[in-house]
Amino acid sequence: MYREIAFHGVYVPTMTLIFFVAAVLAWALGALFNGVDLYRFFWHPALLRLSVFTCIFGALALTVYR
Amino acid sequence: MMALLQLKRRLASLEPRRNLVEWINNEGFTAIYLFKVLVASFLTLWLAMRLELPQPSTAITTVFIVMQPQSGHVLAKSIYRFIGTLVGSAFMVFLMAMFAQQTDLFLAGLAIWVCICSTGAARNRNFRAYGFVLAGYTAVMVGLPVVSHPDKVFMAAAWRVLEITLGIICATLVSATLLPRTASASMRNTLYQRFGNFAEFVVAGIRSTIDQKAFESGNVRFIAEAVNLEVLRSITIFEDPHMRRRNGRLNRLNSEFMAITTRFNALHQLIERLRHRGGESVALAIDPGLRELADALEQFAGHSLTPADAELLALRTQTYKAGLPEHVRHQRSALMQINPGANDLLDFHTAYELLYRFVDELHSYALTHSSLADHSHAREKWDEPFMPQTNWMAAIAAGLRSAFVLLFLSTFWILTTWPSGAAMTLVSALTVGLSAFSTNPKRMSFQIACGTLLAAAIGVFLVFFVYPLIDGFPLLCLVISPVIVLGSYWLVRPQWTGYGLGMLVFFGTSSIPDNMTLYNPYGLINDYIAMVFGMLVCAAAGAIILPPNSPWLLHRLEHDLRRRITFAINAPLKALGSSFESGSRDLLNQAYGLAAGKPMVQRKLLRWMLLVQEIGHAIIELRREQAVLPIHPSYAESQPWRQAIRAMGRALTRLFLKPTQGHFNRGLAAVEHAIDCAQRTEEPFASHFDTSVLRRIGSYLHFIRTSLLDPQSPLSEYASLVESKE
Repeated sequence: MYREIAFHGVYVPTMTLIFFVAAVLAWALGALFNGVDLYRFFWHPALLRLSVFTCIFGALALTVYR
Repeated sequence: MMALLQLKRRLASLEPRRNLVEWINNEGFTAIYLFKVLVASFLTLWLAMRLELPQPSTAITTVFIVMQPQSGHVLAKSIYRFIGTLVGSAFMVFLMAMFAQQTDLFLAGLAIWVCICSTGAARNRNFRAYGFVLAGYTAVMVGLPVVSHPDKVFMAAAWRVLEITLGIICATLVSATLLPRTASASMRNTLYQRFGNFAEFVVAGIRSTIDQKAFESGNVRFIAEAVNLEVLRSITIFEDPHMRRRNGRLNRLNSEFMAITTRFNALHQLIERLRHRGGESVALAIDPGLRELADALEQFAGHSLTPADAELLALRTQTYKAGLPEHVRHQRSALMQINPGANDLLDFHTAYELLYRFVDELHSYALTHSSLADHSHAREKWDEPFMPQTNWMAAIAAGLRSAFVLLFLSTFWILTTWPSGAAMTLVSALTVGLSAFSTNPKRMSFQIACGTLLAAAIGVFLVFFVYPLIDGFPLLCLVISPVIVLGSYWLVRPQWTGYGLGMLVFFGTSSIPDNMTLYNPYGLINDYIAMVFGMLVCAAAGAIILPPNSPWLLHRLEHDLRRRITFAINAPLKALGSSFESGSRDLLNQAYGLAAGKPMVQRKLLRWMLLVQEIGHAIIELRREQAVLPIHPSYAESQPWRQAIRAMGRALTRLFLKPTQGHFNRGLAAVEHAIDCAQRTEEPFASHFDTSVLRRIGSYLHFIRTSLLDPQSPLSEYASLVESKE
């Protein structure tokens, strides 16, 4: 994949876009988790959410930089 | 965290170590907070330098401002800070595009913008106010430094947004993941304890072991707690998905709690009056019912109410409520044997009507509270939000004050062409903004100025004597950490907030090295002098221009409070109960804060508030009863009792807009006329209090009458004249 994407004539790093995509995905997953009350099985929900976001972002970023 | 708790428990078992446990509870959490501030600010500083942002100081200042002991606050503040920064920067770019060559117009536009934002800040509660403050001063911070290079404003705005975003992200991450202390936990605590306090209050009130002073202070506490819980609720929905699922129920719980406190005040007022008036026979007839309730509630007094306890409470109130009609009939027949007067009978009915409603609402509250244990629940559906109510005058006063300060200082700057004028104007905009939503802007500005002075002394010393000697990032952290720790410590002490804010923010903006470090002693010292001068002007403005604790403003607030009656009479009936309750509580809470240090004024305000709530609540009940009347000729709109109630509404409106002897007499006559009409109307149903509408209406009308005649009410001077004439 390209490392930069032209967006209305401005070069935007693909990573930035991926960051937003990952944030949306993590948010949706979090809402799903909360909907079925899964967070009660975890010790530290905030840390879990951060880690899930990091995993998603990392996995998506690997498609660009590899 | 678990280990810490266990350690605490073990220490608690040792008698001589109690002090240590207390220390862990208070200072230990502060220590954790300070540690988190340090971690977050160093992380931000390092990243900002590493990413070569032009002003790492902005990023680190963001961390100082955003960091709070509880992670929910940090999240809420961050989100509003981000929005405020975006709006402010966008406005600045626009303003610069319009008036780049006209400094006068440019500064005037800026003053108007700051005026609008400060008004918004004073008008809103919680962190939305903070968003407004930021929109105001970000515009100033972006624009003024580059006022002579208009072409740079766009990049300045873009960098600023990036720096602030970095600061926000680091602060949020650290505060949410590193030894978190959630706002939802503290909210749960407040919620659970509040009911315990209330139960204690009710038991003491029923048994008459509470004096007027304790009664008033208890009421003030419940009012403040209702408003604070709303603020906490609006914060926790940012923080905790668990709480977000319960948002509707929390809203409902607060609204129901306000309803039961008002109901209890009404009941208490009636009982006290009966006991003073010497209505022995009636008081004796009511007593058993009350005593039973006090016994049922005693178990909950002073303990926090967990959802399991709430279930028990629901069960208790259920049985009590089921037995009440039978009990009333029994007491009534006993009372009838001694041939009571018409007034006594009305007192008796009113007291039991209030008691029945109180228990009913208590039951509903208990059900909502116990439903908090479930992840989803039918009681979640609730569309009666907390309606804050503020006085526009106070908000506009804050706006005008800041616009004036900005105009004055920028004129001074243009006339003197002082090189540090930009710093002065900038800082004054920041200070008026930050003090706009404090109840005492003068003291706040003065504290910020003192903090800045201290920051200046430390900053000059560090920048010119220490920084040249050190090398590398770790040493820089080591050098600035004492300042950060001291400032953050002050920031979380309510009485010291201003000092901490001034110290952190202005140490951050001026003495943290930028990515291109400048060695300019005269410039820095000049800037600091300009800053302190700008702040002192703000403090003076806070004391002189429309200070919020001036008598006229308190007068306006009192007037607003009385106007709530008009609201109860005229506003649409949907969700009226909770918006009436929350609005009047919000008003009183503000007025009470502004009148701090004037106990006479506070007392008067509270009395008005209690009267307005009792009468307003009764009026709302009257309107509700009339809205669901069965179709029958004796309930028709044209019936004399309905016309009399409408006339009473008009008379009460006039009385509360302008309390005079004449209006009072007319209001009282209207209420008595309505009671008379209601009593003379024939009804198709048996006249039991659970079936007869007119008897309930009679009770509410009678209650309004007793409230008007209450010797504790602010109308008592007129009431005593009426009674002496009789």
